[in-house]
Amino acid sequence: MAKSNKKDPSSVGRRDFMKKLGLGVGAVGFGAAAYASGFKNLDKMMETPLAERKLPFWVKEVDEPTVEIDWENMEIFHGPENTLFNPASWENPQDYMDIYDRNIASTKKNVQDNVPGLSLKDRALADANCWGWGGRSGADLASPWAGADVKANPMWEHPTMFYTPEDYGVSKHEGTPEENSKMLRTAGRIMGASDMGFVKLDEKTKKLLWGKITFEDVEKGYAEPEKNKYVLPNKELWAVCSVIPQSLWMQQYSERMSWASSNTMSYSRANIYGNRLSVFLRGLGYQAYGGDTESMGRSVGFGVMAGLGEYGRAGILISPKYGTDIRTVLITITDLPLAVTKPIDAGITKFCETCKKCGEMCPSGAISMEEKPFWGGGEAYQAKGIKGWYMDAKKCYSFMLGGEPDCSRCQTVCPFTKFDDAVIHDLIKLSIGSAPLLNSAIRKMDDIFGYGEEPDLNETPWDLDPMDIPLYGLDKSRS
Amino acid sequence: MKLITWNWFWYVLVGFLMGGGAVMIWHILKNMKLKMVWFEWILLILCFFTFMLMSQTFIASFQEYEPRAAWLSLVFMGIPILLMAVVVYRSINKRYSKIKALS
Repeated sequence: MAKSNKKDPSSVGRRDFMKKLGLGVGAVGFGAAAYASGFKNLDKMMETPLAERKLPFWVKEVDEPTVEIDWENMEIFHGPENTLFNPASWENPQDYMDIYDRNIASTKKNVQDNVPGLSLKDRALADANCWGWGGRSGADLASPWAGADVKANPMWEHPTMFYTPEDYGVSKHEGTPEENSKMLRTAGRIMGASDMGFVKLDEKTKKLLWGKITFEDVEKGYAEPEKNKYVLPNKELWAVCSVIPQSLWMQQYSERMSWASSNTMSYSRANIYGNRLSVFLRGLGYQAYGGDTESMGRSVGFGVMAGLGEYGRAGILISPKYGTDIRTVLITITDLPLAVTKPIDAGITKFCETCKKCGEMCPSGAISMEEKPFWGGGEAYQAKGIKGWYMDAKKCYSFMLGGEPDCSRCQTVCPFTKFDDAVIHDLIKLSIGSAPLLNSAIRKMDDIFGYGEEPDLNETPWDLDPMDIPLYGLDKSRS
Repeated sequence: MKLITWNWFWYVLVGFLMGGGAVMIWHILKNMKLKMVWFEWILLILCFFTFMLMSQTFIASFQEYEPRAAWLSLVFMGIPILLMAVVVYRSINKRYSKIKALS
């Protein structure tokens, strides 16, 4: 029987239902997109003063805390000796020392028995993260050049803090180079490095160390800063190259003073991190040589050799993941055997030949605009032995610190320096790495899409809800 | 780590959109007693993935504080989506008209 085309007006057919469903989900989709794009305006319509905290919807503010307090009879503590973990006022001080002794004995036993979570490497990591609290190496944040010389406070809460394998009565940590590299990368992420690579020191890579560093047949290296003498032992050594991230979120305001807090805070984090890494390696029973971010050698050179990025037009390291938004690659030399990480090719240096965006945007004209990289060494600020582009540091500094606005435009405008939310960036990087013919078009699209432009200065960090600011300024999508 | 975060609701919404769209297309084709040919399938799948990429770029660009990139992504990816959709629609419609005329 032929199907009637006539519809019962009172019924809703499958087709109608699907049409309505389609319209419904379309409306929801449109609404969702509109919300995503316009929620800031909606927020403004409903906004409360920024000083007010935004609490989760299930939390309400109350006039009195939920613990009852009798303010009339509230006892005033004389000082921290009254607090929970300070037993100075205990009736029998020996009780305290007994606890200490038990703690030392049990900690030693756990390390000796290699108990998971309480083994030598776990203790070393815990001690490393305690640096700056339970012990420190002096008034300067930077670690000593010849490695951590921290001394545990004998009356500190954790008496075994900063113990070495000898203190525990065990031999130093043993693992294959691959296992050691994996262990260091894990510890590095916990301690504050966003990425890490390893370079073995050989006759070639030793040339990336400062010339003042020499090698001697000694068991342990040493430094005599007053004589400008820095000595490493003549043995197998590796460079641990740690990427210290900076906040792209803050770096966007690159011609305003706020960039400096992104920049300088990263340096101070680098020094704290350097101490932690040094303490960690010491806790494993190995040597560590480091100091601050400029103590060892060329950070870009080591970064390139460790495969953390490629050499870019501005003479700085460009990472496939972080772009130029790396504050530094901190170099720590150790005798812990490590599996090296190889240099990489993501098409970045090749892209720099076409792009030139950093050079065009540089307000001081310090960045070379030569299309092809060239062998330097003929003029100031050019190093022999590298086929690259060279930055005129004097021009850069004259602009940056000579009374003009602060600057780090070369980092901010680099097409590789992006947040990591949009999937399209990975597709663009795939194209750069595999189809360099499209590089010119990609550079043009980068400009058209407005990347690298200074953000709206009516909405600086001071104008945002504090809870929308990423912790330490580090970007949630890239750290 | 939360097993289900607030993002879950977005994924469910996208799932509904995709499922709803697929059912709708299947239903329309069935009603029209039509089968799609290979290039229509390819264009439709390309349309679908470009649409997904455009939506992701649009929302993510706002998260990246790049409003211009967000709006331009609609233009640069939306136009190819529209063109592909029009080609598929016209191709199917042409065939449907022929079948209709024959019957």
